[in-house]
Amino acid sequence: MRSRSKSWSHMAAVVSVAATALLLAPGAALAVPSFARQTGMACEACHTVFPELTPFGRRFKLNGYTIDNIPQVSGITANREQTLSLNQLPPLSFMFQASYTSLKSAVPDSQVSGALAKNGQVLFPQQASLFYAGRIAPNLGAFVQMTYDGTAAQFGWDNTDFRYARLANDNLLWGISVNNNPTVQDPWNSTPAWQSPFDQRSATAPTPGAAAMIDGGLVDAGVAGASVYFYVNNAFYAELGGYHSAPAVAQIDSTSTNVVSGLAPYWRLAYEHQWDRNSWEVGAYGVEAKLYPGGGQPLSGPTNKFSDWAIDSQYQYIGDQHLFSVLGTYIHEKQTLDATYAVGASSNPSNDLKTVRIGGSYYYQRKYGAALGYFSTTGSSDDALYASGAAVTGFANSKPDSNGWIMELDWVPYENTKFALQYTTYSKFNGGGSNYDGLGRSASDNNTLYVLGWINF
Amino acid sequence: MKEITALAAGALLAIAGATASAQQQGATELTTGVCSACHGPNGHSISPVFPNLAGQQADYIVLQLEAFRGRMRGDPNAQAYMWGMASQLSDATIKSLADYYAAQKPAAGMAGDPALMAEGRMIYTEGMPKEGVPPCASCHQPGAEGNAAFPRLAGQHVEYLIAQLEGFKSGVRANAPIMSNVVKTMSEEQMRAAATYAASK
Repeated sequence: MRSRSKSWSHMAAVVSVAATALLLAPGAALAVPSFARQTGMACEACHTVFPELTPFGRRFKLNGYTIDNIPQVSGITANREQTLSLNQLPPLSFMFQASYTSLKSAVPDSQVSGALAKNGQVLFPQQASLFYAGRIAPNLGAFVQMTYDGTAAQFGWDNTDFRYARLANDNLLWGISVNNNPTVQDPWNSTPAWQSPFDQRSATAPTPGAAAMIDGGLVDAGVAGASVYFYVNNAFYAELGGYHSAPAVAQIDSTSTNVVSGLAPYWRLAYEHQWDRNSWEVGAYGVEAKLYPGGGQPLSGPTNKFSDWAIDSQYQYIGDQHLFSVLGTYIHEKQTLDATYAVGASSNPSNDLKTVRIGGSYYYQRKYGAALGYFSTTGSSDDALYASGAAVTGFANSKPDSNGWIMELDWVPYENTKFALQYTTYSKFNGGGSNYDGLGRSASDNNTLYVLGWINF
Repeated sequence: MKEITALAAGALLAIAGATASAQQQGATELTTGVCSACHGPNGHSISPVFPNLAGQQADYIVLQLEAFRGRMRGDPNAQAYMWGMASQLSDATIKSLADYYAAQKPAAGMAGDPALMAEGRMIYTEGMPKEGVPPCASCHQPGAEGNAAFPRLAGQHVEYLIAQLEGFKSGVRANAPIMSNVVKTMSEEQMRAAATYAASK
C-alpha cells in the first residue's frame, strides 16, 4: 500500500518524518494468481505463504517473471530469432482486502474539540488492486499493480517492476529492473518493500512519525529508477541502480516535496546459502539521496542529504508440514539537513535515525500460522523536527523514538486466501511512553487490533 | 533415379539432423533456464523436495514427464510444480530433456546411520520375503543405478525417496503399480532404511 499524499505539513515533508500512515505499512501482494496461471504451478511453488517468496519464487522473480507453461503468441525472424512470446491471455489478477481496525483509545475528533473519533473502523475495501503480472516477451516480464486505496478513495499506481533478464550460463543470471520503489525489486523479504512477516498493517491506525528514506520515504516522494543485477551460482547477488523523482503530477515545482536532486544511487549486495530445506541470506543495501524539500521552497540551492545503509538477513525452513521464517533488518540513516536547517525547520544541521525490525513466523501445513516481531526506531533529538503539541502525531522529548511488538495469527484456508488477526503494542511512540504528544495521549493508546481478510484471484 | 533418391534421403537426413540438434539446443536452454531453478545446475538439486536428475535413466524421465503432462502422477509436489511445467512439452522435447539429464554425472551417494544402512541393505538385496517385499536390487540393480523404466536411486535425496515410498503407499502417487504393491506392507522405518541404503550407493 502506497500513497503519494502531498498534503503533509512543511516540517513533516522536509524530513523523512513523513506520513504517519505509511510508515510501517509497506507493500501489498506479491502473490499474483496470474503468475500461477502462466506457470501452471501452485502458489506454494513461489511462496511459503504469500507474499513471502521461496527460493524458487526468488529465482522466478530474478528471471524476469518469464517462466511460462501456457501456449504463447510467438513471432520469429527469418534467422529463427524469437521476437515475441506473449501469453495468449493477459496475465491479470485481482486482489481485494477488507479490514477492521480498533485502537486501544480512539483518536480525537478532527473537528470537535474534546470529542473522540469513532473507534473500530471497517474498510471495505481497505485496498483493491488490479495486476498485470507476467511475461511480455521472451526475456521481458512485468509486475504492475494498480491500487484502489480505500482511505484515499482513489485509484493510483502502486508497485511496478519491469524486468529484462538473461541467463549467461548455468551459473550467471543478470537482469535490469525498472521500478518505482527502491527494494520493490528485491527478491528477499527482509528489505522494506516486501517485508515479512508483517507485510500488512492497518491503513488507518496511527504509526510512528519517523522513518528512513529507504524505508518508505522515497516511495512517498514518488520516484522511478533502474538497476542492473547479477546473480551468481544461486548464491551471490549484486545490484546497482539509481532513482529519479517521478511523482504522478504534471509539473514538479515548489509545491512538490522531497524532490530528488540528480540521481539517487541504490546498491544491494547479498549472499544466500541453501541446504536441504533451509535457506539463509545475509545482505546489505542502501541509498544516497539528495532531496530538495520543496513544499513551498524553490527547487534550487541547498539540499537535504540522506545516506542510508542497512543490513538484512533472512532464514527459511520450508518443510512439508512445518514452515519457519526469521527476517530482520537494521537501517542507519545519516541526515545532513542543509536545506531544512537553513530555514530553521530543524534544530541541528545533521541528525541520525536508526531502525531495527525483526520478526519470525511459523506455519503449519501452510494453513495455520503465528508470527511475532519487534520494532524500534531511535534517533538524535531535534526540537524543531520532533515538536510537541500536535494531537496524536506530536513528539515527546524532541525525539523520534518508537518501539513495540507485533503479533499475528493467520489462517490460510486456500493458497490464495488469508485471514489475519494482528495486535501491535507500543512501549514508546514518537519519543515518549506516556503523554507523548503533550496532549495526554500515551504510546499504548495507539495499540492496534487489526483484522484482515485478503483474497487474490 | 537412384542418385535423386539418395540426394533426397540425404537432404531429409540433414533436415532431421538439424531439427534434432535444434531440439537438443532447446532442451539445453530449458534445463538451464527453467529446470535448474529447482533441479539445480546439471541436475544436482539442493532441496530434497526436488529430485536429483543427473544420471537418471532416460526412459524413466520420459515416463515421468509424460505422466506429469497427462496428470497421471498426482503426488502433491508433482501437482504443485510439474503438472504446469510439463503441460506444454512435446514428445521430442521430453526425449531431449531425458537424454540431457541421463548424460550428466550423477551425484555421489553418502552413507547414513550404520544401523539403518544394515537394515536397508537386507531389504535392498534380500527383500522381505515374509511380507511379500521383493529385493529392490532385482529391478533397481545392485548398484542402484536403475534400468530403463526403473529409476536410479543411487545418489538421490533420502527424503525424496521416502516421500515417494509414502506416496506409493498412501496412493497419492499411483503411476507405478509395481511400487504400490511393493510398499503395501513396509513400515515407515523400513522405508527409511531401504531409502538410506539405496541413496548411499
